[in-house]
Amino acid sequence: MGKKRISNNIRKLRFFNDEMTQQHLAEKAGVTRQTIIAMEKDRYSPSLELAFKIAYVFGVPLEEVFAYDPEN
Amino acid sequence: MTYQEKNIIVSFCSQILILGFFLVRILELAQGGGLEFEKVLRLWFTVIILQIVVTIVGTILAHILSAIVQSVQTGGEEPQIDDIEDERDKLIALKGTRVAYIISSIGIFLAMLSLVFGQPALVMFSLLILAGLVAQISADVSKLYLYRQGF
Repeated sequence: MGKKRISNNIRKLRFFNDEMTQQHLAEKAGVTRQTIIAMEKDRYSPSLELAFKIAYVFGVPLEEVFAYDPEN
Repeated sequence: MTYQEKNIIVSFCSQILILGFFLVRILELAQGGGLEFEKVLRLWFTVIILQIVVTIVGTILAHILSAIVQSVQTGGEEPQIDDIEDERDKLIALKGTRVAYIISSIGIFLAMLSLVFGQPALVMFSLLILAGLVAQISADVSKLYLYRQGF
């Protein structure tokens, strides 16, 4: 499986948000915990809507959560 | 293992069993010289009905077993089954359906070819049901792979 071009800081942001659990984030974003796990491991690139939802949950702009790397 | 993965494994096992049943029955019919249209048609519908019933019962059983296992793990607290379907689940289901569609198409093409090459209609019917079962199994395998490896 090739490396994803879209990386994310979800794990770090969870840590800085009082060690928010994956389950808690999943519930707030309306997805399963498995999807959060897959995203943290760079195994899944979310839809634009989900990306915005996650950024909204953390209260930060989208580019602080996700980054696009065309070199990958 | 997630609820969806358990569901896929239940579906996979039941499809393997149905495929085994179909192959054993069709071989029995062929060896006994009883490969008649009526018998093959009966087997055809038996397999289809089995598929529907086993899929429904399997899904219900997977749900109940998940609840029991989780209840035991959490010490009798309210079980929380992760059975909501999100965008990733839908995407994986879609990719699985695509695999099933491709294999079904190949199966239908081969079934038609068998008629073109002068094989009896029974062979065509057998190939059709075989393609359907193999397509379902391949879809389950691909979904399981996508859940495990990501995409």
